[in-house]
Amino acid sequence: MKDISLPHLNYAALAPMLILFGVACVGVLVDAFAPRKARYPIQLVVALVGLIAAFVAVVLRAGKVTAENAITAAGAVSVDKPALFLQGTLIVLGAVALLLIGERALERGGPFVAQAAITVGSDADQRQAARESGATEVFPLTIFSLSGMLLFVAANDLLTMFVALEVFSLPLYLLCALARRRRLISQEAALKYFLLGAYASAFFLFGLALLYGFAGGITFAKINESAQNGTGNITLLYAGLALVSIGLLFKAAAVPFHVWTPDVYQGAPTPVTSLMAACTKVAAFGGLLRVLYAGFDRVHWDYSPIIAAIAVLTMLVGSILAVTQTDIKRLLAYSSIANAGYLLVGVLGNSALGLSSVMFYLVAYGFTVIAAFAVITLVRDADGEATHLSRWAGLGRRSPFYATVFTVILLSFAGIPLTSGFTSKFAVFSAAGGGDQSWLVIVGVVSSMILAFPYLRVVVMMWLSEPGEQTPSVSLPGMLTSAALVIGVVITIFVGVAPQPLLHLTSEAANFIR
Amino acid sequence: MKPLAQDPTLNDFGHDPWWIVLIKVVVVFAFLVVMTLFAIWYERRVVARMQVRPGPNRNGPFGLLQSLADGLKLAFKEDIMPKLADKAVFFIAPVISTVCAFTAFSIMPFGPVVSLFGHKTPLQLTDIPVAVLLVLACSGLGIYGVVLGGWASGSTYPLLGGLRSSAQMISYEVAMGLSIVAVFMTSGTMSTSGIVAAQAGSDTHWGPITAPSWYAILLLPSFVIYFVSAIGETNRAPFDLPEAESELVGGFHTEYSSLKFALFFLAEYINMVTVSALCTTLFLGGWRAPWPISLWAGANSGWWPMLWFTIKILLLLFVFVWLRGTLPRLRYDQFMRFGWKVLIPANLIWIVALSGIKTLQKSDWDGTKRTMVVVGVVILLLIVALVWPSKKEPEKLTVADQIAARPDGSFPLPPLDLVVPVNPRAKRITASREEPVTVGAPDDSTGPKEA
Amino acid sequence: MSLSPYVPIVGLFALAALFALFSVAIAPFVGPRRYNRAKLDAYECGIEPTPQPIGGGRFPVKFYLTAMLFIVFDIEIIFLYPWAVSFNQLGVFGFIEMILFIGTVFVAYAYVWRRGGLDWD
Repeated sequence: MKDISLPHLNYAALAPMLILFGVACVGVLVDAFAPRKARYPIQLVVALVGLIAAFVAVVLRAGKVTAENAITAAGAVSVDKPALFLQGTLIVLGAVALLLIGERALERGGPFVAQAAITVGSDADQRQAARESGATEVFPLTIFSLSGMLLFVAANDLLTMFVALEVFSLPLYLLCALARRRRLISQEAALKYFLLGAYASAFFLFGLALLYGFAGGITFAKINESAQNGTGNITLLYAGLALVSIGLLFKAAAVPFHVWTPDVYQGAPTPVTSLMAACTKVAAFGGLLRVLYAGFDRVHWDYSPIIAAIAVLTMLVGSILAVTQTDIKRLLAYSSIANAGYLLVGVLGNSALGLSSVMFYLVAYGFTVIAAFAVITLVRDADGEATHLSRWAGLGRRSPFYATVFTVILLSFAGIPLTSGFTSKFAVFSAAGGGDQSWLVIVGVVSSMILAFPYLRVVVMMWLSEPGEQTPSVSLPGMLTSAALVIGVVITIFVGVAPQPLLHLTSEAANFIR
Repeated sequence: MKPLAQDPTLNDFGHDPWWIVLIKVVVVFAFLVVMTLFAIWYERRVVARMQVRPGPNRNGPFGLLQSLADGLKLAFKEDIMPKLADKAVFFIAPVISTVCAFTAFSIMPFGPVVSLFGHKTPLQLTDIPVAVLLVLACSGLGIYGVVLGGWASGSTYPLLGGLRSSAQMISYEVAMGLSIVAVFMTSGTMSTSGIVAAQAGSDTHWGPITAPSWYAILLLPSFVIYFVSAIGETNRAPFDLPEAESELVGGFHTEYSSLKFALFFLAEYINMVTVSALCTTLFLGGWRAPWPISLWAGANSGWWPMLWFTIKILLLLFVFVWLRGTLPRLRYDQFMRFGWKVLIPANLIWIVALSGIKTLQKSDWDGTKRTMVVVGVVILLLIVALVWPSKKEPEKLTVADQIAARPDGSFPLPPLDLVVPVNPRAKRITASREEPVTVGAPDDSTGPKEA
Repeated sequence: MSLSPYVPIVGLFALAALFALFSVAIAPFVGPRRYNRAKLDAYECGIEPTPQPIGGGRFPVKFYLTAMLFIVFDIEIIFLYPWAVSFNQLGVFGFIEMILFIGTVFVAYAYVWRRGGLDWD
């Protein structure tokens, strides 16, 4: 029998993922063995400590990574600079979203239901809605999801990428179903997300199989090499690339694979929506960048027109449909779709500049969107969050502070200068302009002008309308939400005013190693 | 004793001409059908002996033709297709069960290389590198027959019976699958002929006795778990819950009649033979003769091993019947708890312990280090056992509390101080013994046994 | 001419399939046919039958849970087999990796146990 060569594992490079995975397992054990009362504080502390430890591991690694030591675990994982940057981003964004998830001051028992399987509307359901505090499984689930995302952006072959895709998706499906209020819509969201997500995963898997047929291997290096040498069946290459891209674009919420986004964003508990809007986007684009840049660099000219068409569609559909929305969460969902379009424009820059601009955009957008959802969790009435836009009329009079904060966030979304929205859009558009995609830039600018309209309408509504009977009050945020809000807004403004440090960091990091 | 040259290895397979393959296929098929007919008769006779009654003794010598007669009778019974049945699935379900049961037997080793019409060929239909997986795959697919048959009947009892069987079979398949991991670890192969060869014998001798090489002795926990889960997997007593007559009539095959029913019956008995044969192969040295016989040089060559193999299967079948004759049926929750909470963790711990021991044996550490590792593990286990949270028993409610907790409109309760009248039979017996009459457990052990 | 070692499996499969299909196919023609409406109803112990709706009725969610647990452990077994077969070549590294793997599955197992997922009723 042949000797089996054992893979070499670079534990320092894998540490962030291993730490998060271990912490998630510890979280599961805490949930199994800790007494009911003690679970919430233990879980919160364990999760946050784990995230901090993982972040430290990322930072420590960032100083030492070179082209030679980036690839480990028998070529399955490539912890290069972009991967480390995205991992760090994911951990910080995840930690901020986790603060929202852990908030229990706004509502008795927190935003999550204790037992999601109880029939909606039954006696038991009413009892648990009134009394029982929420499930603490959300913490390990979030950490599992984050560990999957960390692996996703570092995967160096398609199979690892697929496993990571499932690891980060499955907990998200579950988290979507756990809303304490409006449980039916939450369950519907989870089911839609699950079914469509499973469908998209199947596409990814088919594409993987075809690419294996093309290249005889699944690592990006192998695929790239085959594409360069022109060996293998070119039809398999294109079909495989198309199917894999569908799987990734689904997660990125690009048109025409966006249909799940509004329903899921609306139905999921708001903290989970913030996690999805910030972290899933980072992971999806991190994966897309790696596949396109590291795996399919050689067929750049072949896929560019199609991605460009998708980008245009995404920007236009997202921004135009955002105009018609009457629910703030759905509005942000369509805005998230449009933002996926801008990110795709950056992806098409197809250079180190494109890569760094997309990473820059992901950071800026992630913090702003978390802050936006943090404000949404605060605006509530007796039935929970008041998400209908008409309810927000006159909020500026009721609580000028939070209305100001939300205005800053919306202005950033609209791309007004001195906010992160402006600098990040400028970055991706200039990258695309540098990559000979000027017409995309024009479409992008037009669509951001369209998209500015719904944002400004909300601003006008908040400040220039009289508060009515229906205007809900703004709850006093707990410490966790305050922290998340402060971090989100400060970074939004900081990146807008002084983008240099982040730009420097992203351009330093922009080099994939396959 | 080193494995002999005539021992088949994986390389010996795949060289048979087509007509030898055909002969072997037909022989294996016939072997299984005959074994089934025989096993039914055997079971009925043995269980009858245990219950002090004659059992079938009319058809043929010792009633040997009884099961053949039963089978023929079934063929001439009306074939009922229930109105609500899903026709196609109802039709195909017994076929799935039967085909999977037969196919699983294709890798069982019957003996060494023999000469068949001038061709050297192993006494085994075929062998592949993943042979044991084939058996597991077939038994897994066979569950489809059961669950689909129950589902397609369009009736409550079969549906519940089918679901129960499938839940039971998959639960015990996990335990079964885990129990043979240790065998693969020790033998280093998954081919059945390779596993038999690995049990051929050790070089250690104590006088005339050779050190045991059967995995049943070397890997005793695996063997025990395998056998227990094999009983669960084949739905045999005391785990015959899918066919619990008192609860589910006939289980998944309630609506089946005629030859379709016969096929389910056939599949069940073939499965019994298969798990026994697999047990023989994996744990009992396969076709090799046990120790006193193996002193005779010719015992492990030629056609003799087929006899040892069959005898071992029959002994295992006897244990099956013995259990049926002895043990009462488990309750379903006890049964599932046993599978999930006892067999699986015990299995995993055993695998980890075995691999730890083996790793330690191979390592080049000296005695002190090894001792330290062992002591460390033991201390760790003790700590875990100490810290392991024990489940608090819920406080037992008194009878009065329980009555108070009953919702309105419950059935009326008999008075709690009701005096139970004395069982007349107990009264008669105790009276004949001229002892005072007691209330409570009447001694009816002298009553007639139910035949 | 020699045949691949997989061919005999197909052969036995085919013979068994032929036999089984033949049996179920001839069963309606060999046996008698005496029509009786009650015979074709779903079986109940003498009471009015409450047949399952077409396509099967609803059944306890417990069975789904068992199925999911089965998949978890079956996948564990699938990973354990190749490890077990090449155990002798893997050495300490393989041992530690497998301890970690089994430990991870054990975490899920402990959780399910504590949450009553293994209790029937």
